[in-house]
Amino acid sequence: MKAFLVAFGVGVVLAGATGAQAYHRFWANCNYDAPTFMTTMTRDAAQDYANAARYEGYQWGGGCWNYDDSDSYPYDAPGDPSAHGEGGDCSGLTFKTWRESTDDWRDGRYYWRALRNVHGPYTAGDFKNGLGAPNHTVAKSTAGVMDAFASPTHIGMIFARSLYGGDQIVEAKCEACGTNIFYRTYRSDPSYSGVARWGWTG
Amino acid sequence: MGLDRLKLAVLLLAVVLLAGCDNGGDPPERLLYGQAAQEFTQVPGSVIALGRVLDGTTLGGRFTSCRPAEAGIKNDAVVVERTGVFGESLTFADAGNKTLYGCDGGTDAAGERKPPWCGSPAGRLVRGKLLDPRLDVLCRDPKGRPLAYAWVEPAAGVRWIGVDQGTYTEIYEVLAGLPVRIASARGVQPSRARATFDVTQYDSHGKELVKGKLEAQVAG
Repeated sequence: MKAFLVAFGVGVVLAGATGAQAYHRFWANCNYDAPTFMTTMTRDAAQDYANAARYEGYQWGGGCWNYDDSDSYPYDAPGDPSAHGEGGDCSGLTFKTWRESTDDWRDGRYYWRALRNVHGPYTAGDFKNGLGAPNHTVAKSTAGVMDAFASPTHIGMIFARSLYGGDQIVEAKCEACGTNIFYRTYRSDPSYSGVARWGWTG
Repeated sequence: MGLDRLKLAVLLLAVVLLAGCDNGGDPPERLLYGQAAQEFTQVPGSVIALGRVLDGTTLGGRFTSCRPAEAGIKNDAVVVERTGVFGESLTFADAGNKTLYGCDGGTDAAGERKPPWCGSPAGRLVRGKLLDPRLDVLCRDPKGRPLAYAWVEPAAGVRWIGVDQGTYTEIYEVLAGLPVRIASARGVQPSRARATFDVTQYDSHGKELVKGKLEAQVAG
C-alpha cells in the first residue's frame, strides 16, 4: 500500500509536469538549423511545400510549423510576434517557399525545414517592391504558378490560375483564417503588384 | 638602451591610447547631410534629429519617389521628414488614416533602389495605432553598417523620444500625431530579422516618462 501511494504521488507530480508543457509556446519545438543549399528549385516542389503548410496556422512574424494539419495555438493575439505560435505569416511563408537566404544580397536556393524558425528579412511591402537579390517584379498578366501578388501589407502565391479572372492563392492570411488556399482577385486589385523569384529550374 | 626602449614603448602606448580615444565618446557634431547637430539640453550628450512637417508638394521628388503608386495618396499629404546622424525617413498616412506609410533612408545591399530610399514600410492602423513597429533591416548606412528602422507609438504626454546610440542619445520630436520612425545601428540582427532599440520617452520639459527596450521583428 505504501509503495502504491509513493508511486501514485510520483505519478501525480509527473502528470503535473506534463501539463505544464502546455504553457510553452510552439516556438519551443522549433530550431535554428542551417538551411540546405540546393541547386534546383521547381514550381512543383514549391507548390508541394506551400500546400503542406496548409492548416498549420498563422503567426505574425512567424515561420515555423509542423505537419500535423492543425494550428497548435489558434487563438493568439493578432499582430503580436511574441505570441510565438505555430505557422508563418504571409511574407514568412513566401520566404521559405521561395527558398531564400536571410542575406538579401544572396540569390541562391536554401531549403528550410518546416520546424526551422525563420521569417526572413522581407515584409510584404519589400516583396512588392522586388527588394532582395532573389526577387523581382513582374507584370500581373504574366504572373504564373508560384509567382505572387503583393500589396504593401500582404503577399500570397499563385497556386493555380482560376477561371473568371481570379486565382487560387496559397497564403498565410490571418490568425483567424490561418494558412490555406483561397480564391482571390489580387490580379485585378490595383493595390497588388506581381512579384516573382528568380532562379526556377523547372 | 633599455631605458630608451621603455620610453619608446610608453610613447607608443600613449599614441595608441590617444588614438583610441579619438572623439568616439562625444556626440556627433553633424547630421547626415552636414547640418550642425543640436543638443537636447535636458539629456546631456544627446543629438536632436531634424524633424519637419511638410506637404508632399514641398518635398517634391523626395516624396514622389517614395509614395506608393496605388495607394491614392495625394501630393498635399502631410509628411513628417526626419534626418538623423546616419538615418533619414518620411512618414505619412493615407487619406482614410487606415495605413501608415514611410520611406527609410540608406543603401540596400543588393544595390537595387535609387538613393535616398532603401525601404518602404507600411502598417495597418487600428483605431489610429499600429499593431507592430514595422521593423526594416534591409538598409545600410554610409559606412555599410546594417540599419534598423522602426516606428514608435508615443505614450500619452510624450513630446520627445530618445534612442540610445551607444555614445549618445538621438532625440526625435513627436510630430503631426504620427508614430515616430526611429533608426539605430545598434542591436540589429539582420540574419534573425530582429532588432532591439533602447528607447526613452520624455515629456515637453524633458522629464522621463517611459524607458525600456523595443524588441522588434520583421513581420507581415
